[in-house]
Order: sequence, then C-alpha cells, then structure tokens
Amino acid sequence: MGQTPTEYVTLVSNDGFEFKVLRSAACIAGTIKKALDPHSGFREVAENRVDLPTINGVVLEKVCEYLYYNQKHAESKEVPDMEIQPELCLELLIAADYLDV
Amino acid sequence: MTPDYLTSWLRKWANNISAQEIRDSYRQRLQQAEADEAQTADATPDNGEGASNPGGEPDEEEPAESSSAAAERSRKRKRNQEDAIAKIKKGKADKKTKKKKKGSDDDSDFEDVMDMYKKKKPLPGQLSNCELCNRRFTVTPYSKAGPDGGLLCTPCGKEMAKEAKATEKTNKPTVRKGRRKIESNRLDGLTFRGAKTLQQLCIETLAKYSEDIEELGDMPEPIMNRLSEIFSKKRAMNSTTFKLFLQSDRSTVAIHEAAYLETEDYDQIFAFVPGIKTLSLRNCCQFKDENMDFMIEKAKKLVDIQLLGANLVTNDKWIDLFISRGKDLRSLKLEWLDAAFDDQAVQALVEFCPNLQRLKLERCKQFGVDSIDAISRLQNLEHLTLCFHQDIPRKNIASMILSVGAKLQTLCLDGFVNSEDEPSDDLLIAIHDTCTSLSKLRFNNNNECSDAGYVNLFTDWSNPPLRYIDVNSTRDVDNVNPDGPEDFPVGVASDGFTALMAHSGSRLEFLDVSSCRHISQSTFASIFNPEKTYPHLREINLSFCPVVDTEIVAGIFRSCPNIKKVVTFGCFEVKDVIVPRDIVLIGAPKAQDAIEQFGQVFMDFQKEAQKELMGRVVPTAA
Repeated sequence: MGQTPTEYVTLVSNDGFEFKVLRSAACIAGTIKKALDPHSGFREVAENRVDLPTINGVVLEKVCEYLYYNQKHAESKEVPDMEIQPELCLELLIAADYLDV
Repeated sequence: MTPDYLTSWLRKWANNISAQEIRDSYRQRLQQAEADEAQTADATPDNGEGASNPGGEPDEEEPAESSSAAAERSRKRKRNQEDAIAKIKKGKADKKTKKKKKGSDDDSDFEDVMDMYKKKKPLPGQLSNCELCNRRFTVTPYSKAGPDGGLLCTPCGKEMAKEAKATEKTNKPTVRKGRRKIESNRLDGLTFRGAKTLQQLCIETLAKYSEDIEELGDMPEPIMNRLSEIFSKKRAMNSTTFKLFLQSDRSTVAIHEAAYLETEDYDQIFAFVPGIKTLSLRNCCQFKDENMDFMIEKAKKLVDIQLLGANLVTNDKWIDLFISRGKDLRSLKLEWLDAAFDDQAVQALVEFCPNLQRLKLERCKQFGVDSIDAISRLQNLEHLTLCFHQDIPRKNIASMILSVGAKLQTLCLDGFVNSEDEPSDDLLIAIHDTCTSLSKLRFNNNNECSDAGYVNLFTDWSNPPLRYIDVNSTRDVDNVNPDGPEDFPVGVASDGFTALMAHSGSRLEFLDVSSCRHISQSTFASIFNPEKTYPHLREINLSFCPVVDTEIVAGIFRSCPNIKKVVTFGCFEVKDVIVPRDIVLIGAPKAQDAIEQFGQVFMDFQKEAQKELMGRVVPTAA
C-alpha cells in the first residue's frame, strides 16, 4: 500500500506468459479491477501483477486484445465486432465469464 | 493516301498479319503515293521537303504549304488529298517541335499516319488493340474503357467489370449491411455505446459455428442459458445442436425456440438428463402425449415446467401429469394452448398440485370460469399470471383475489373480456384489501375500473411500494366519445397516476402507462418536476399518452437519475429532445427522425452527479 499506481500492470497466464497492459484497459475486466482495487489490500495491488492460473497464454492474449478493443471503442457507436477464432471461442467464453467482461 | 490504301491496310490487320510486315508494305505504298503525287502535282516536292526537313523551322512550312495549295486550287480533283496531307503535315510539325526527333522521311511520315489513327478512338465495328492484353479485337458499342482511357477487348472488359463489382460489393455492405439488425438491437436496448462484452461476442461466434461444436463442456448456468437464447434467436436450435444443451449433470434444460425439434428429440431430454428439475420449452409444437408419458416416467425430480405451444398434448395427458407429478410441482407456466387444457385440467391441477407457488396461464383458450374458481383454492401461490380469453364475471375474479391474494408477490391480470358487468372497482378494492406483499402488479388492457378506484388502491395501501407496475391500456374505449366520461374517468387518469407515484415512486423500477389517455399534461409535469426524484426508475413507457411533450420527457430525464429507456410512441408533442447520454428515447413521431435517439450529450446535471460520485471516490483513491 501507499504506492502510486503504475500506468501498466502485468497479467500472467498459467503457462507463464506475461502481458503488460494499460491499467485502464485491464480494469475493464471486473475481476481484474477488483483484484487491483487499492483498498482491497491484495498482493496484486503491491505487485501490479495479476496471476490468472485458469487462463492460458493464447486465450489471455485474445483477452488483452479485447480489452484494448473495448477501450478504443468505448465512446463510439456501431462498433465493428472483434474477430474471434472459432476454436478459441469456448475457452475464451469461460475466461470472459471468469474475468467478468 | 487514297481510300484504297486504308481499306487494304485495315484488311491486312484484320487478317492478323505481323506488324512489321504491315509497316513495310504501308511504307512502300506511302512512298508510291507520294511519288504519284509528285508526278501529278507541283506542290508535292514541298511536301516531301517539309516532311524531311528535320532541322528547319516547322512554322515556316505552313505558309509555304498553303501558298502551294492555293496555286493548285484549280485542280479540284486532287483537292481532298491535298487537304488530308496538309493536315498530316501540320500535326507532324507540331509533334516535331516537341520531340525534335531526327528520322528518315518515310519513318516520320509513317509515324504521323499512325498518330492520326491512334488519336481517334475507333468506332464500333472497327478494330483496335486491347489496352491491357494488346490483342486485336472488334470494337462494339459495349467495349469498356481501360484504366488509361483506351478500349478493352471483351474478356478484359468482363474482367474489369467483375473487379469493379467486387470492389463495389466490398465497399457497400460496410454501410448497409446489418442496418436492420442494428436498428432491431437498438430497440431491444442491446447495443448502446461502446463495444459488446466479450461474452456476447463469444456466444455470437459460437452460434455462428453451431454446427461444428461437438461439446460445450462445463459452462456456468447463466452462460448456458444465454447460449440457448442466442441459438434460438438465430434459429440454430435443431435436432443436432440442441443436444449440446443436454448434459447429464445439469438440472435445467431451457430451449427457447424448439420449433425445429421432432417428437423423438423430446424423449432424449429426459433420457440424457434424468435429474432434470427445470424444463422450459417454447414453441414445442411436436411435444406429444408420448413425450409426456416418457417425462412422467423418467423425470422424477421435475419441479418447474414451462411449455409454450404444446398443442398436441391432450386434456387427459395434462391430467395424468398432474396426478403423477403434481405433488412436486412448484411452478407451471403454460402459454398458447388452443385445443386442450380446459377447466377440467385446471381443476386437476389444483387438486393434485397443492404446493404450486407460481402459475402462469396465458392465451389458453379453453380456460373459463370454473378454472378461476379452482385457482382460488391454491393456497401456496406466490406468483399468478392470468390472461383471459373467455367472458368471466368479475365477482369470480374478485373472490379469487380475496382467497389467494395475501401471499401473492406477483399479480398479473391481462385483458378482461366482460360484456355484462358495468365498470366497478371491486377488483381494485379486493387487491387493496388482500394483497400486502406484492412487488409486481400488471393490471392492464381493460376498462373495468375507474380513476377513483385506482386512487383508492394506491392510497393507504398496506402493501410496500411496488417494483413493477404495468397499467397500460386501462381506459374507456368508445369511438364516439374518445375523451371518455368526463366526470367519471375510466382507467388510470390524473388522480390515479398521482396516487400510484406517491405510493410506489420510491421503489419503482418499471412503469408502463401507455394508452392511459386521461392523464393530464399538468399531472405529468407535476410528477416529473425536478424537485422529485425516482431513484430506481429504469424504464418508462408513455406511448399514446397524447399530452406527453418535450417538457415532460426532459423532466423525466432529470428526475429519474437511473432511467435507461423512455418509450414515447405516438406522443406527437415530443419534438427535438436532446437526449442525455446513456439514455435511449424510443418512438420519435416524425418519420424522418430516427425512431430511437441515443443520448450523446453529457448534460450538466449528469456532470454534477458524476462529480459527486467522483468526489466520493477520488479522495479515497488518492
């Protein structure tokens, strides 16, 4: 506690991939937002790092892509849908449910 | 040059003789022609000189030429030829000054001739070289122009047209494609601003590839339901794909659009998921008696059944179901039953399902007075929804409310068909006196009760404030007297509405007063004035209340901080409203306006609210 929040945070997949993501984008995901809430006192806050042991690197990469896509289009209307590879879809859906996005 | 040359030259080209050969033979003929001219005309040496005078002043040629031509004017026979040659010379002279090219007589002459042919675009019927593939082809009126202005042969032209179409296609749809869908989503309140959620995107993609999925795996229940909804919406729920939703360890099967399922498929539900507790099938047209038998035999844990449009199940089979499964049933929702499910079935239902808490019977045509009397005996009911099709005397309904009303949390009575009774408020009195735990009240589509009755209902009612009120279309319907009886307003009118908001405004989330035509403008204005706030109100429908105007809509925006959706179909006084952001106003009356208007403007009062919110958050965050 007492640290100033960094601009970027690190998301870590279960197979060890690390994604450095803008904090504002990462916090679009409800679960990550809660984990990084300065009042929670979680370890994540001190380390600016969120371990996601249920999500693998490939899926997490797509999640990060979505977070930026969402941030980019936050104010626009009639947003074009993001492409999702069908083979990723089910895993991504479970991850999205877990992350609350 | 004589016409003979031209035709033979063209003919040669038409026969696909090599360019070199043509050039050679043409050069020969040209030389010969000039030699002929030299014999017949004195001016020809000048011509030759002019053509072969590379370093000389080309500008001087013209006067020399014209003077010599004038000298020859008497020879009318040759005149045309002379003119043609003069023209060629002139063109050549211009060219020469630009190019400053040195060459032999013959070559430059030939080039000049070629230039003349090149410059003219060939007319239909003539031959030309294709600009792209260089093939010789006959020009037609349909020949396409190439990218550099030349003409194209038929295959190349087709190719070009195809490409042009392809690019057109790729360009157009981005604008037009899905416009209808976008509008539909907006009316559903789905797309608002910003991107869809990742879950939504995934589910939509899944639905797109519904045929290729082998198994859904372990999904949380809400997502399964959402998937089922989207599959249903996209009409992707068929005999193959619906099996994805049958997982033996689940307790719920919800198929929201079962119209593509066959009779055998329904048996599979109970075979695959014997532990099923909640069954929901909509448009299950092929659900038959045999399926009902199988369900009774296999699904021993069923407590919640919803069937929509199960018209092939006979009356006796419904009764069988209640006899064998009745004790366990907690919830039964049946809709759109025309042929079966009559009063006897309802009586059996009441007899054998004493623990029923939730009952919904909508658009069941056989359902009559005896059913109402029977339902009065269901002592554990908490949620009751009835939609009437037959003429039912009001006193039966009133006595039903009196006997089951005390425990009810939901009461929905939709559409009375009552030809005999005069309007009276005994139903509202019954609700007022017996219901004390309602949170949702739908009492719509009737002209039974007076405004005073509604005032009475919402005044000193021991029921806590309601969450959901729908009193749409409660008004007097008389074409001769559209304003209704003046001293005795029928339906929710000004006073009734005021009493309603006074009673429930503090907790109300959903309000539908559409077609309540007798609520006055001043009543709306005083209810939605900035002094008052309705903190929970999310959705309001004011359609066909003709007095609603821009002021009232603006008032709603201000006094309902959580409002998301305002529906104003047929409110012609609503004009040029500036919709605050995150709010959608549906039903603009002017055809040229978009039917729904999405808030763009971040209004001052919203900013203040935001500041307050930020004010609370910021210090703690810092």
